[in-house]
Amino acid sequence: MICKEVKMKKVKLTIEGMHCASCASNIERSLKKVSGVKEASVSLMMKKGNVECDDSVSDDDLKKAVARVGYKVARVE
Amino acid sequence: MTSQHEHHESPVEDSEITSWKTKLLWSWIFTIPIAVLMLLERFFDILVIQPPFNSIFILAVGFPVVFIFGWDTIKSGVRGLFTFYFNMDSLIALGTVIAYLTGIFAFFGVVLDYSGVAAMIMAFFTTGKYVEAKARGRASQEIRKLLELGAKKARVLRGNKEIEVEISDVKVGDTMIIKPGEKIPTDGIVVKGESAVDESMVTGESIPSDKKVKSLVIGATINQDGVLYVKATKIGSDTFLAHIIELVESAQSTKVPIQKLADKITGVFVPVILVIAVLTFLNWWIFTGDLSRSLGVGIAVLVIACPCALGLATPTALMVGSGMGAKRGILIRKGEAIQTMKEVKIVVFDKTGTITKGKPEVRDIYSKVGEKYLLEIAASLEKLSEHPLSKAVVAKAGLKKYREVKGFKILRGRGLEGNIGNKKITIGNTRLMEEKKISLNEFKAMIKKFEEKGFTAIVVAENEKAIGVIGIADAVKEDSVSAIKELNRGGFKSVMITGDNEVTARAIASQVGIDEVIANVLPEDKARKVEELQKEGMVAFVGDGINDAPALKQSNVGIAMGTGTDIAIEAGDIVLAKGSLVGVVQAINLSKATFRKIKQNLFWAFAYNVVAIPLAIAGVLHPVIAEIAMALSSVTVVTNANLLRRKKI
Repeated sequence: MICKEVKMKKVKLTIEGMHCASCASNIERSLKKVSGVKEASVSLMMKKGNVECDDSVSDDDLKKAVARVGYKVARVE
Repeated sequence: MTSQHEHHESPVEDSEITSWKTKLLWSWIFTIPIAVLMLLERFFDILVIQPPFNSIFILAVGFPVVFIFGWDTIKSGVRGLFTFYFNMDSLIALGTVIAYLTGIFAFFGVVLDYSGVAAMIMAFFTTGKYVEAKARGRASQEIRKLLELGAKKARVLRGNKEIEVEISDVKVGDTMIIKPGEKIPTDGIVVKGESAVDESMVTGESIPSDKKVKSLVIGATINQDGVLYVKATKIGSDTFLAHIIELVESAQSTKVPIQKLADKITGVFVPVILVIAVLTFLNWWIFTGDLSRSLGVGIAVLVIACPCALGLATPTALMVGSGMGAKRGILIRKGEAIQTMKEVKIVVFDKTGTITKGKPEVRDIYSKVGEKYLLEIAASLEKLSEHPLSKAVVAKAGLKKYREVKGFKILRGRGLEGNIGNKKITIGNTRLMEEKKISLNEFKAMIKKFEEKGFTAIVVAENEKAIGVIGIADAVKEDSVSAIKELNRGGFKSVMITGDNEVTARAIASQVGIDEVIANVLPEDKARKVEELQKEGMVAFVGDGINDAPALKQSNVGIAMGTGTDIAIEAGDIVLAKGSLVGVVQAINLSKATFRKIKQNLFWAFAYNVVAIPLAIAGVLHPVIAEIAMALSSVTVVTNANLLRRKKI
């Protein structure tokens, strides 16, 4: 097996349009499906999502994952 | 550079509440006539409008309720159904649309008309959402206040002119002028003036802090009575307030372990309910042959099921809890900590800076060669070290000129050595002297006397011969005693850990009422000592976050003490903004209360679904009653979370 040093990064998303608990868990599920994403947790209360992923994941990938389930990323930090 | 304030919007925006309010008002304006018609017909057999016009009326008036005011819900629900990312809206959308369609099919005599029910479900749904959004807004009120705390404007000196600028235009190095009653715009250092500053909004410390030249001040705190000239040292996202906000915010998306089951259930909840609803409908249809009744039961199952109560149970309580904490300078970084806290049996305190003020002072000197000479050579060496004990010696000596030191070496955890002229100077604790085989005979009695008073005894030796002892003590913080008494009363075992020797450590421990002492611990061994204690039970470690980071990590709950204007972001599960041990007691109480609230909420949310869904399946509940119950369940959970505030911390 080839072990490649993968750099991890943390991305903070501000998500619009969530209004119920299953919304948050849907977004989490969708984000985790993006390849390269290790951990995703979404807070309905703060309208924030915290994603831990490797460097190859672009902001657009994450935005798309959120859009796929019907919500909008207002800001990426 | 944008200011931190533009980076944060309120957790629950007013726009969300207003939008639900508008939907709610319009929904009811249209739904009330429908409800009146239905009630009159059902309970009094009065037909205000003759068939088939009554059905046409209800379909016409109900249409905007479901498809215009409820459009966002329908859209999101239907998208959920098609993408297989089901959500709460999917259930409501299916329930209302099916109910509405019965009104059309009723014309062909297939089923009874349920279309009025569709409007009522939607109206109650929006009402529930509105009340819930408001309650969620209330849950976040402390955090909201924190976000709005920052100053908007600053008065700075540019050239010789005082000008008012936006906070985002303040640069590091700018001199800001703050008049009495004004907010300090950003973190900085006082360059002119004297005043008392109220820091309670940021650190929870209620007594105003006196500031003079060289004092550090925190942005967003309020200047009380004098004019202060402050040089800005930190701006934007580097400030103390920005760090607190960052900490509190990111804590909201950490998980409390107990929530895991609820999360798993929420994840599959909607599809499972969909299946149950379909099975219920088929079952009723097959066994009763009554299509209308079966549809009614199916709709009731769809709308009674509520993943929201389950999903909101933990985050709302956590939010109220961390908001209450933030107000008191207790910052919960990880949700997990509040669950672990209730298992904690042992609280380990680092001594310096935690139990004591962390500002040691020379209290007594015993010398064979004259106090002045002793201090002069000691201070010349100590000047080169950053250790708090060294600073105490340097401060006491107050020299203008230091002797030249060659071959200086720090012997970590033990002392220092170096050469002054042709003399070899060794300064350190008794352990170092033993190691170096320096005889302490004449000093033994004095050292013992110092140690029994709780002083740290530092021996100074010249050419391998002891010439004096310096007694240094670090005063105990005023409120350490009461805080530890409180912990002991609460059944915790409190332990003090320190690099001091046994006698000194015991003297300090007995001053504050701690029975168990682990003395002579080198800084790097603290984590290992914590690990040993963990064999007896869960350990909370209270320390300063900088030197104690490994011990904080090793412990089950790490409580990092803030040191004035700095805040340790990375270490510690809970961070205390003010450096008082009372905060530890408060943090423990708050964690326990918050966790109890979470458990209560989860219990109600589970109990609700466990009772309500079978009732709906059994066909006992009218779909409208089912919807009302659903709305109430999530409102109850959020309201209950808000009740946490009644708890005295």
